[in-house]
Amino acid sequence: MRVTKGAQIVAGTALLALAVAACGGGASDGGTAASGGAETPVRMELGEPQELLVPSNTTESEGSEVLAAVFEPLVTYDENKNAVEAAAESITSDDQKVWTIKLKPGYTWHNGEPLVAQNYVDAWNYAANQENAQSAGYFFGRIDGFADLNPGEGKSVTAKGMKGLEVVDDTTFKVTLAAPFSQFKTMLGYTAFYPLPKAAFGADGKVTQQYGEQPIGQGLFKFDKAYKKGTDQSIDMTVYDKYPGKKPSNWTKLQFKLYTDSDVAFNDLMADNLDIHDSLGPAAIAQAKSSLGERYQDQPDAGVGYIGVPLKYNAELDKVDIRKAISMAIDRKTIAETVFSGTRSPADDFINPAIAGYRQGACKACTYNPAEAKKLYESAGGPKTLEIGYNADGPHKEWIEAVANNLRANLGIDAVAKPFEKFASILDELDAKKYKGLFRMGWAIDYPSAENYLSPIFSTGAIATGSNYGGYSNKKFDELIAQGDQAPSVEEGLKFYQQADDILNEELPYIPVYFYRNNSGYSTKVKNVHINLLNQVEWTDVEKV
Amino acid sequence: MGRYIIRRLLQSIPVLLGATLLIFAIVFALPGDPIAALAGEKRADPNIVAILREQYHLNDPLLLQYWYYISGVIFRADFGVTFADVPVSQIMAGKFQVTLNLAVTALVIEALIGVGLGLWAALKRGKAIDTMILASTLLLISVPTLVSGFVLQFLLGVKLKLWTGLDVFPIAGITEGFRSYLLPGFVLAGVSIAYLTRLTRTSLAETLRADYIRTATAKGLPRRRVVGRHGLRNALIPLITFLGADLGNLMGGAVITERIFNLPGIGNQLFMSVYLREQPVVVGIVTILVLIYILANLAVDVMYAVLDPRIRYE
Repeated sequence: MRVTKGAQIVAGTALLALAVAACGGGASDGGTAASGGAETPVRMELGEPQELLVPSNTTESEGSEVLAAVFEPLVTYDENKNAVEAAAESITSDDQKVWTIKLKPGYTWHNGEPLVAQNYVDAWNYAANQENAQSAGYFFGRIDGFADLNPGEGKSVTAKGMKGLEVVDDTTFKVTLAAPFSQFKTMLGYTAFYPLPKAAFGADGKVTQQYGEQPIGQGLFKFDKAYKKGTDQSIDMTVYDKYPGKKPSNWTKLQFKLYTDSDVAFNDLMADNLDIHDSLGPAAIAQAKSSLGERYQDQPDAGVGYIGVPLKYNAELDKVDIRKAISMAIDRKTIAETVFSGTRSPADDFINPAIAGYRQGACKACTYNPAEAKKLYESAGGPKTLEIGYNADGPHKEWIEAVANNLRANLGIDAVAKPFEKFASILDELDAKKYKGLFRMGWAIDYPSAENYLSPIFSTGAIATGSNYGGYSNKKFDELIAQGDQAPSVEEGLKFYQQADDILNEELPYIPVYFYRNNSGYSTKVKNVHINLLNQVEWTDVEKV
Repeated sequence: MGRYIIRRLLQSIPVLLGATLLIFAIVFALPGDPIAALAGEKRADPNIVAILREQYHLNDPLLLQYWYYISGVIFRADFGVTFADVPVSQIMAGKFQVTLNLAVTALVIEALIGVGLGLWAALKRGKAIDTMILASTLLLISVPTLVSGFVLQFLLGVKLKLWTGLDVFPIAGITEGFRSYLLPGFVLAGVSIAYLTRLTRTSLAETLRADYIRTATAKGLPRRRVVGRHGLRNALIPLITFLGADLGNLMGGAVITERIFNLPGIGNQLFMSVYLREQPVVVGIVTILVLIYILANLAVDVMYAVLDPRIRYE
């Protein structure tokens, strides 16, 4: 067969198909860009949210940032780090066990429905029910009746809701906790505690996928269109007309632009294609300081970085003096300034300075003192070799190696940094008792209370269910936490928490190394950019230039 | 011809099955629990992990999991869902479009510049311009994409706009339509341009020495016709092979370029999905990449016949 027109047509069509495919995408993208309307939105950097946008299934920062724009939480946090009512009119309790929450009038959902107390009860029961497998379900663990919705693996749920939740009338509901908890009000600003409208639930009683793509909230911004994960590169929203609170003064459109690389977003910021970038990486910081000037902001961020100690798995580290010596041998200042180029600050307490309850210099053994460290380590008979495990999938290699260097030089021992695939692999090996070394550990808070730095990581109860990976257990500490929980007010509670914190600073179950900092920048087109305790932008403050 | 194409397509079925099973097994063997990874560094609620593992069949043996997956693909054209419950087909559709746009842009840039420079060098063989072109291709080959990407992005994206106020090359994203793909397309094409230039130069130089060219010149045809019609057409065969195979390379190799320029393509997606151990997404993307390789190769073989009538298929 001689080559015919047929072959030419086949080849030609193939090429044409490619060309058409290529043009198709370009044209439609141009279309969406143009349909943005006359007003240029305020553009904010965002990483791709991990899950669909359902409050009770969102525990990571990117999704939370989006939801925070769409929802009004029950409480927000003021400059003194205290919880103040937002969607709630009042949150009161006589005994810290039964809490009465009254809603402010005037809030409506973006689809027009009024906000009612039942919306909270529905959302919280949905979140707590294990059959819905919501990742933030554990936040409701303190509410009476949580166990009925979480009977455990393999058992089916029989209860309809938590008996601790009770609707009094349209604007009031009562929450009964299993045990008193003075910080309950502080928790309520967190994403997991947002309400859900009736429209969120499908016929089967589950939150629909459609809702997850275009959440209907009762807050400042309303979604313009559904966010198709994987396809869309921006999430666009507009100020909701009927929002009863304060609105931004001279703009109405907000756009989250999705980036996979923080440094690329920084380039966009410098070229004024992006307005706010709240997660500048170490590489961008040096340049940001010089080229953004006042538009570069550096503030404490609530996270803490530790060296974890496997007390439960390695008896050699049992003596407090050994841990103190290790702590004193670490040059935190140099690590914060050199290794992290100033994106961290040296840790000197278990509670972060961004949160009420922090005391400067509370951790005495956190001061760099190599001579004393060596003496202490030798007299306590510390092990001659130490391993420090870290997960290689994050930016940890450099600082862990710096710590290992410190230990080698100052304690005269053989310290090595040991990489693991993921953080979970370290935990697996700890559980299997295969790994006995120190390990890298970090903590980002769930709600801005001193209690959140203590009980989820160091209480005996957290060994089984929480994040107490080291297996630390101290009766006195547990008692103080319980006393703090039962205290009649947030302030009274804080006193007990600080006493519990003193125990940690004395015993060093983990060794605090650094506090995170939030490094952000904004373009020449906006001003008054403030980032709050939850690392979210205060949208009402932002003004266009 | 038709029978040849059908036979080639049938042959690709076992290749596809083998490739998907292999990838499935590799992702399966990666350490760490994908469900636990969803919780970040906090310990995931064991209760919830158990429920989700059951829901996504993660407790079943490899072959059974593979069967669930592949039967869905074959019988229902359903690529499954990610661990965040988003349909894999939705994720892939948008991302393949972006990568295809990028790859085609790169291919066009590569063909224009590569063949153009190669042609020029071949015609001026041994002269200064030839040496200059060869030297610059060497430079192009030795600079890694990572470097050229960031440097060009900074110079042409950020600095050019700050200096001149002209917004020529968008830095990131695909919101500017066709323009968004120009710079990343060039960066992605970089190394291939160099190879293509050298290939064109050699291939054409070889052809121009052939007897039939001397005949054509001797019978008084204009030089343009000798080079274009008689020389280039024959020299094109190895170039087409290269370009065809390169389309597959560009599609699959776009990971770095897409990350630098923040393009939401499959390279970016593949990186994240391997990290999160999302088997359905990884296998789905690889399946389609294999399919593209197969089709591109088939198209190349068909093009041979168009360019050289002596080549026939039965």
